[in-house]
Amino acid sequence: MSHTPFILASYLISTVVLLWAALSPVVNKRSLVKQLKHRQSRMDKSQ
Amino acid sequence: MNPIYLFFHKTGSPPWFYNFSGKLIPWLWAGFAILAAYGLYLGLLVAPPDYQQGESVRIMYIHVPAAWMSMMIYGLMAIWGFIALVWRIRIMEVLIISSAPIGAAFTVIALITGSLWGRPTWGTYWVWDARLTSELVLLFLYFGVIALYNAYDEPRKAARAASLMAIVGAINLPIIHFSVLWWNTLHQGSSIGTSGNSIHPSMLWPLLYMAIAFKLYYGANLLSRARVRLLKQDQTKRWVQDLLAKENP
Repeated sequence: MSHTPFILASYLISTVVLLWAALSPVVNKRSLVKQLKHRQSRMDKSQ
Repeated sequence: MNPIYLFFHKTGSPPWFYNFSGKLIPWLWAGFAILAAYGLYLGLLVAPPDYQQGESVRIMYIHVPAAWMSMMIYGLMAIWGFIALVWRIRIMEVLIISSAPIGAAFTVIALITGSLWGRPTWGTYWVWDARLTSELVLLFLYFGVIALYNAYDEPRKAARAASLMAIVGAINLPIIHFSVLWWNTLHQGSSIGTSGNSIHPSMLWPLLYMAIAFKLYYGANLLSRARVRLLKQDQTKRWVQDLLAKENP
């Protein structure tokens, strides 16, 4: 039995999981900052 | 004031923690990238195949450090949970809930890579062996902490419930560690311990490089998540308003 597909699958899945875990806070921060800035600009306009 | 005491005192302040961690994160990512690249180079290209496992031993360079991380992160969550419950330090509460998804990610990696290693070596992807089952229970504990936290609307109440669950769940850590000694398992015993190790240096070094790289990854990822959570929790506070006025908070 060739071990190569098992090794490749291990490294590929690990890379995907680690990338997801690393990128999700970046995406969350961007959307949160955008949302907060939008809310602040609406409040500034209303004043 | 004692500089160490002063440092811990400052860490309790969200604005200070936000700024300090923002400076630290790029260095942690850089350290992770360098050590992971070198560890993978040694593990995939330099280290020899194992005399019994053959080439599949290369999966160990990611499986073993991921399994160590899955336990270490839960252990840290339990310690921080205790501190958060006793001293009510909000940063500790933020660290617990920010750690849980990263710990779950490492547990998933440990389980999947272990399964992919098991197929060519043991002839099966999964057995209900004590080590494998207790590691699966650890994954459910991580999911439990995340679900319990999200079940509350008030973040501080949620953090207290999650802290308690992290402390109670820590009972699983010695079970995972000693499972290979307490029960007759298919999973082999530890090759690296405080009393020495049975691995050749050509295989030990890539394992250690990857283990340190994963710790740096955890540090960078944890701080990134904690910063987002602090921003969200303190969105009405002055320091966040001042930060938002900047171009890139």
